Order: sequence, then C-alpha cells, then structure tokens
Amino acid sequence: MATVAAGPRLVANPIGWLKHERRWALVFSYFALFVFMIFFLGPPYYMLVTSLKTNQEIANLATNPWIIADGITFEHYWKLFAETGFLTFFKNTVIVTLAVVAITMVVSILAAYALARLKFWGAGILALGIFLTYLVPETLLFIPLFKFIGWLGLLNNYVSLIVVYPTISIPFCTWIMIGYFSSIPRELDDAALIDGCNHWQMLWLVFIPVALPGIIAATIFAFTVSWAGFIYPLAFLYSQDQQVLTVGTVTSLIRGDVFHWGGLMAGALLAAAPPVLVYAFLMDYYIAGLTSGATKG
Amino acid sequence: MHTSWTRRRLVRATSLAAVGTLAAPYVKRAHSAGTVTLGLWDHWVPGANDRMVELANEWGAENNVDVQIDFITSVGNQNLLTAAAEARARAGHDILSHPTFQIAVHQNALEPVDDVCEALMAEYGDFADNAVYLARLDGTWRAVPTCAGSQSYPMCSRLDYFRDIAGVDLQDMFPAGPRDPEKSKDWTRANFLEHARKLHAAGHPFGDPIGQTSDSQDWLGPLFLSFGSMMADENGNITADSDETREALAYMEELVQYMPDDIYAWDDAANNRWLISGEGSTIHNPPSPWTVAKRDAPEVAANVWHHDAPAGPRGHYRGNLPYFWGLWEFSPNKSAAKDLLLHLARREQQAALVEASQGFDMPMLKSFDDFTTYVDAAPPSGTLYNYPVQGNEILTVAGWPAPPSIAANIYFQALIPNMVARVTVDNESHDDAIAWAIDELEGFMRG
Amino acid sequence: MSQQTGVPWRRRQRTFGRHSGLLDWFSSRSTVGVLMCLPVILIIGILVVYPFVFSIYLSMLNKPETEFVGLGNYVFLWGRETFWMVVRQSLIFTFFAVLFKVLIGLAVAHIIHHLPDRGQRLWRGLALIPWVIPPALGTLGWWWLFEPRYSAFNWLLQGMGFEAIAWLSDVFWARFAVVTVNVWYGAPFFMIMYLAALKTIPAELYDAAKVDGASPWQQFIYVTLPMMRNIIAITILFSTIVTFANFDIVRVLTQGGPRNSTHLFATYAFRVGIETGDVPLGAAVSLFMFPILAVLAYFILRNVRDRSERV
Repeated sequence: MATVAAGPRLVANPIGWLKHERRWALVFSYFALFVFMIFFLGPPYYMLVTSLKTNQEIANLATNPWIIADGITFEHYWKLFAETGFLTFFKNTVIVTLAVVAITMVVSILAAYALARLKFWGAGILALGIFLTYLVPETLLFIPLFKFIGWLGLLNNYVSLIVVYPTISIPFCTWIMIGYFSSIPRELDDAALIDGCNHWQMLWLVFIPVALPGIIAATIFAFTVSWAGFIYPLAFLYSQDQQVLTVGTVTSLIRGDVFHWGGLMAGALLAAAPPVLVYAFLMDYYIAGLTSGATKG
Repeated sequence: MHTSWTRRRLVRATSLAAVGTLAAPYVKRAHSAGTVTLGLWDHWVPGANDRMVELANEWGAENNVDVQIDFITSVGNQNLLTAAAEARARAGHDILSHPTFQIAVHQNALEPVDDVCEALMAEYGDFADNAVYLARLDGTWRAVPTCAGSQSYPMCSRLDYFRDIAGVDLQDMFPAGPRDPEKSKDWTRANFLEHARKLHAAGHPFGDPIGQTSDSQDWLGPLFLSFGSMMADENGNITADSDETREALAYMEELVQYMPDDIYAWDDAANNRWLISGEGSTIHNPPSPWTVAKRDAPEVAANVWHHDAPAGPRGHYRGNLPYFWGLWEFSPNKSAAKDLLLHLARREQQAALVEASQGFDMPMLKSFDDFTTYVDAAPPSGTLYNYPVQGNEILTVAGWPAPPSIAANIYFQALIPNMVARVTVDNESHDDAIAWAIDELEGFMRG
Repeated sequence: MSQQTGVPWRRRQRTFGRHSGLLDWFSSRSTVGVLMCLPVILIIGILVVYPFVFSIYLSMLNKPETEFVGLGNYVFLWGRETFWMVVRQSLIFTFFAVLFKVLIGLAVAHIIHHLPDRGQRLWRGLALIPWVIPPALGTLGWWWLFEPRYSAFNWLLQGMGFEAIAWLSDVFWARFAVVTVNVWYGAPFFMIMYLAALKTIPAELYDAAKVDGASPWQQFIYVTLPMMRNIIAITILFSTIVTFANFDIVRVLTQGGPRNSTHLFATYAFRVGIETGDVPLGAAVSLFMFPILAVLAYFILRNVRDRSERV
C-alpha cells in the first residue's frame, strides 16, 4: 500500500475504461451526476436567488420562489456592507483563521513527527489520548473554557478563538500527519542521519517537503474548522467589533422574530466565497494529500 | 420570622427615604472614575440600544462613573450562554439582562436588590405578579424587572375580518381609552371557538404555533390556566391530572380544527408572517408583526388591533415574558451599579425606553401602563393602548404557579404544546397524554 | 507488504546499535520527542483535559451546584424515557446520516472519477460547495426551504400535483429533514476523500480483473471496495464522531421537535443545561456521549488495524 500511495503515476486510466464500456454507462453517469448536483446545488442556488430578491418578493407567496420575478436587487448585499459589521466580521474571521491554521500546523507537525518516528516512552498512549480528545464535544467544554478565557482576560475578544479552536483542529490534523509521516520510507531517515542531520533538521529538510500534500490537506481542515465555528464565538464574543462571520451574520440579521432572509442568504454565500477560492487553488494537493495520509492512519 | 419581618419593615421604611438618597452624591465620592459594565439585551428595534446608551451615560456623567454597555443578543440564546458562563467564571459584567426564568437559574449568584425594588415600589406601586413570581425568590428580590425586552402576548387581530366575518367590533370592546367591562363580557374562550370557526370558513383563520418554540408556550400556557389547568402547584406537587386539563384538551381538539394544518411546524416568526401576509385574522404576539407590517404591508397594519385574550371559565390570563436586570453577587461595583439600576428603572427612563422600542417593550410596574407611546401609536390610532393590560387579565407564564426552576422545564421542554399535539395529531386519549405529561413532570422535579 | 516483514528486522538491528555505545543518541531522541510533543500536551492538557475533568465534576453536582451527588445525575437520566429517546434518535440519526454520506460520497466520487479529466475539476468544485457554506448559515437556507408556508419544495410538489409535505412538523419528515441536511453538508467531503482514494488504485488491478472477464460492477466489488476499505473506515470513524455530536442542524431546523422526536445529545444537553438552567444535568447528558463514541471508535479502529495488517 505504501508504495502505491506514494506514486501518482499509477492513477487508473478512466478514458481507457470508458472506451471499453457501452455508451449507456456514460449517459447513465451523467444522468446520475445531474441528479446528485441538483441535491448539492439546489439549496445554494435557492439561497442565491433569495439574496437577489426584494423583500416584497421574498414575502410574496404568489410568485415562483425559484426564480426572480420582480427584478434583481443588490440591496441585501449593499446593506450587509453598509449597515452591519460584515466587513469587521470578515476581517476578524480572517485573522482568527490564519492564526489558528499557523498554530495548528506547527503543533501538529511537531507532534506527528515525534509520534511517528521517535518511539519515546508513552508515545502510543499520547497518540491515543490525542485521538480521544476528538471525542469530547464542544458543547461540553464551553463553560469551563469560559472560565479559563476569563482568567486570560480574553472574554469578548476574538483572540479567545485563536486559543480554543486549536483544540478542535489539532487532534484531527495530528492524526492525518502521523499517517503521512509513517508512510515516508525509513531509508530517507537513514540517509539523512548518515549526512549528520539532527531530528530538527531532518523534520525541516526531509519530512516537511516530502509530506507537503498532507500538510496542505491538514491546513484546509484547520481552515474549515476556524472559518465555520459557531458555538465558541456564540459563547465568548458579544460585541459587534469582535464578532466573526458566522455568528455576526446571524445575530445582526435576525432581529427578534424578524428574519432578514435576503441578507442572511447573501451573508451565507459571501462567507462561503473565501473557502471556495482557497479550495479551488489547493484542490489537487488536497486530494493527493488527504488520501495517502488518511489511509495510513 | 420576627427578625425577617422587622428587617423587611426596616428596608421598606428606609427605602421610602432612600428614593431620593439612593441617587444621592455618595457615588461621586466613592466611585469617581470607577466603571460599571452592563451586558444588556440587544434590542431588535433600531434605535432602542442607542437610547439605552444615552440614558446610562446621562447617569454616568452626573456621577462621574464610566458606563460600558455591551448588547448581547438572544438570537442563538447567546444571552443565556453568556450568563451561564459568567456565573461560573464569576467574572464578566456587573449587570446582565436576564430573560424570564433565568433569575431562578442564577439565584445564588445574584445580589439581592430589595433596596432598589422596594424603592421603586414605594414610589410607583406594585410590580406585575408575574415579575414578583419570577424575580422575588424566597422573599428576596434577585433582579430588577425592567421594560427593556419585556413583552406580553395579547391578541393581534384584523379589525376588518373580525367585524365583517365574525361580527365582532374589537375597538368597541377594547377601546383606546376607558372601557366598559359590560361590552367585553362575551369575549370568552367558548365564544372564541365560534369566531374561529367563522374566520376559518372565510379563509382567514386564527393561527399560532403548537411546537417547541416560545410563542407556543405563550398562548397555550395562559389558555390552559384560564381553564384552571395547572401542571404543578407552588410547592411542586404535580397537578396536571385534572378535569380542568381534560377540559382544556377538549377545547384544543375543537380549536385546532379551525386553525391552519401546518401550525405544528410554525416557529416564532411564522405567526408574524401569517398576519402580515393578510391571510391570518388573529395571532397572539407582541406588536412586532404590526411594526413590520407598517413597513412591508401598510394596508394590513392599519387594520391590526392589539387586545385582550379571551377569558376562560376559571380565569383571564395573558402570556408575559419579563426581562430583568440582575447584579452579580461577585460584582466589584455593587453600590454604583444599584444606583444605575434605580436610575434606569424609574418612570422617566422607562418611558423613554418604551418610546425608543416603538411600544414593543412593556413596563413591569403596573402604574406605567399609561405611557404616551401606547396611547399615540397609529395607525390605527390607539392600537397599542391595550398592549399593557387595561382590563382584568393577569399576566402569567406557562408553568406558573410551579416554583420557577420547575416551571422553566415546563416552558422550555414544551410540555403543554406537546401534550396538545399528542391529542390532536397522534390521536392519543386525554388520559394517555396526561400520563405522559406526568412522567415528564416527574423528571422536572429534581432539586 | 514486503515492508511489513522488513520493518521489525531493521528495528532489531537498531536496538543492537544503541546498546553498543549510542546511548546519548537514544536519550536525545527521547528528549526531542518530548520537546516536540510539549505544545500538543500543553494545549490538550489545559484546554481539553482540564475542562473535561471539570465537566465530569460539574456533572456530579446537584442542580444549584451546592452538593456533590456522585453518579446521581447519571442514574436519574438512566431512568428517564425522554433520555432514552434521545439516545435512540442520536443513533438512528448518526447511522442514516453516515450511511448516506458514504453511499452518496462513493457514488459521486465514482462517477466523477470516470469522467474525462477536464470535466473533473469543474464537477468536484461544484460538488464541494455545500461543504464550504458554514453549516449554521447553510441550515438557515434549508430551513427557509422547509418553512411550512413559504416552502419552495412544497411549491414544486404542488406544481407537480402532489400534496404539500409538513416537513418539520411530521415526525418522519422532520427526521428525514435533519438527516438530509447533514448528508448534504457532509457528503461532499466524503466524495473528495473517496475520489482521492480512487486515484491511488493501480490501473493494473483493473486490467487484471478485465482479463478475467469481470463486469464493471464486479470490478467495483472485488477491486475498488477492498482497496478503499481503510479510507472508508476512517471517514466513517471521524464522521460518526462529528455527526453524533451535531448541534447546529437540529437546533436551527427543529429545535428538537416535533414532540422531542429529533433531539440529539447536544441539542438535548443544551435544552436541559442552558435553557432550563440545569447545567450539571446538561453536562451529564453530554458526557453520556463519550463512552458511546469510545465504543464505536474502538470497533472501527480495530477494524482498520485488522484490515491493514491483512493487506
């Protein structure tokens, strides 16, 4: 398996497969794909349509809800920028996400290298312990964590999220990275050791370059965790100037029992845009990375 | 017994004098350049938060105290999360806004505010019974009832539909001014069934949710009480198994026939949309749908009248969710904070807050029912006059009269709507639904 | 395969090497290992283990948190019908959500994998969209689609001559709705994992199967599935954990209704702990998740290890 996963040259040839199969298989594939895409993209499409409708049309029961009948309006997007703290939420979210990704990657790579290669006393138990922390739900931790964040003086400060989000991202990322590092042939270590590398140099010069796809995969996971987090910002942040995208959008557009649907949908789509861009760029690495890493876990 | 009596007497006596002195200059000396922090409910009406900041800053400037206010939303229960966390961290704001049942939840972490409440009562008379029930625990006021966020659940009805379809003149029964009780004596649960039937037949039914959300509790709780059905008594004894409960369930079986089929999936906003869309004839709600309709559907708004819920065979109740300002027992600035609370809870400030909320807020001191905001609201002229109780309705909340910590379970675990839905949707017998409720109640009883 | 036998041999050799004078190297290796793990130990120790232990303590207090009641809260929950309903629902929800995430993920990955290269990037990009919309906001969109009066789904159904469905007020449909939204959100991630795994299966295996006259279905059963067992197990493991602990979808869509029929552990714990103010009992509800997940994780992990040893 290890040798197989390392080599992208062994990819199956889909075109070859297609040539030998009957035509209807392709037709059926496209049909099935079409059905699945309706399932995946129907709700985002509906959100897009809603975000471009006027309030009157959203409230109107008589028209087809799936199309825009009364003309497109960008009013909800404009209001999002002008009348809510959306740009502030955006800035805060970016800062939190970048910091969490950086912390997660440094901590996970160090730990994963040590656990995968340096068989020190207790390494196995530690690896299991890191996995077990993944089983502890956020809903259980926020009260004690609030106490800790208060002690740090970080209540109502988005820096608190930089402190707590790594607890969600590190266990998963460490496990992915352990899988990656284990799949690196030991011959590489031996060669590096003979060249006189110590462990820090070996990690930096050998392991990180070789496992780059896995690192990118883990990065994207950490990115998602901190970008989409909901419970912790809900519990720790209340000022608009400290708020992040998810909670900020919801709390500034649901006022009492009045829902500003157009704005909510616009906010959801705008919040989804940065991850889409990030993933589009990194997709190929991501695919190669996640697979060979996770199969070794 | 004797000592507590004299203590209360003493408090009352001194607070009479304290009305003036509490706001007196001691703060200037003792707390100059100090800071009081407040985490207040984030009001959904635009401008209401700003008014609050102005009022607090007025006091701050006068007393040379720095006032910092954070507005914490109830969306996603953020306010409950914040309170639960601050109570355990013993850190955070000095003063926090608490909705309905949370005073009992945080009873041990809240500073007694008898002095503030007694001072207010000495000047303005009694608080609504519901506020006393929820915030005066074991004889001690643990928080100050406020208008900011407090609401009641009158009916919001279409004058035209009731007049044309049901033949009822709501403005005549519940005028924007002194009323003649004779005229509204037929406004009963029994007669309401007949109105609901006609409105349903004409395509404009009465609609309210029967589900997990709070609006469901706020109309069904008072409805059950008006039949005399109580889930548990003030000592926590389960009293759900009663002829009164069966009578209320039988009433609901009939009423739901005249309501939309999808009410079991309605949330708190669905009944608002129901009214605003012009389809619905009446709902139970604070004036928020009317406020939105003024913007989005003015012809609907001009026909909406807020008025009493129907009287039941054993009482006349209206749903009410009060808000309170609680002072943490671990606050380092208690005396300055109390002084600020007293300032904000007084008539002038409460009237300003109600005005800024466009009449959505409802003061919990009974004598504040004459604020000009309610009198002046239009169109139709005087529609909010009856938003504060003007007749003989008693403000209450689902779960009353059980101890508030048990009532909170009855309310949030949606005991009454679930019991109704078991009968009306699952076709369970009354006995089975009541047996289920009793089993649930036994679970709510833990100390 | 050849490595499996090779590794222990090499290890043994190294051990001999250490004894013959490289003791300092051994100790430095240990030191470096501990140093490198220090950040993760600190972070997890302070931010997970300590709060976790505190929560266990909290769950052993009475409601006003003035008295230690030991396992009282757990015993209480054990006897509550509503709690067992939550346990059953969480298991049902997790089972169906994970099952459909696996099936849909596999199906879409398989289809995309066999498309011409050029189209793959577009399709997998589009299929990922549900996963990048923050779930709390995406669920709001779904909720608006299910809303009883404004439901755009019902508009379509009625347009086609069917009855409108009471999506969130009928017990079956409400459960269907929460599972559907979870599958919608999670399936794209599965798809990407499986697509990547498919790409690592050597073409030689398929060629060999074809020579033996295997149909595409047989190739899938006898080549693709065995090669993907590990990745399927791993995705099931991690997804089971996350799905079991799900909060936002149910909270936004149904708040646990109708008649408590969609409550999961997290939403029920929130209702008990935060809304009704019984934090110790809420903590006890949440903690019940831990042993259930640990048992599930044990079986899935053991499965993975057995399989990888066999391969």
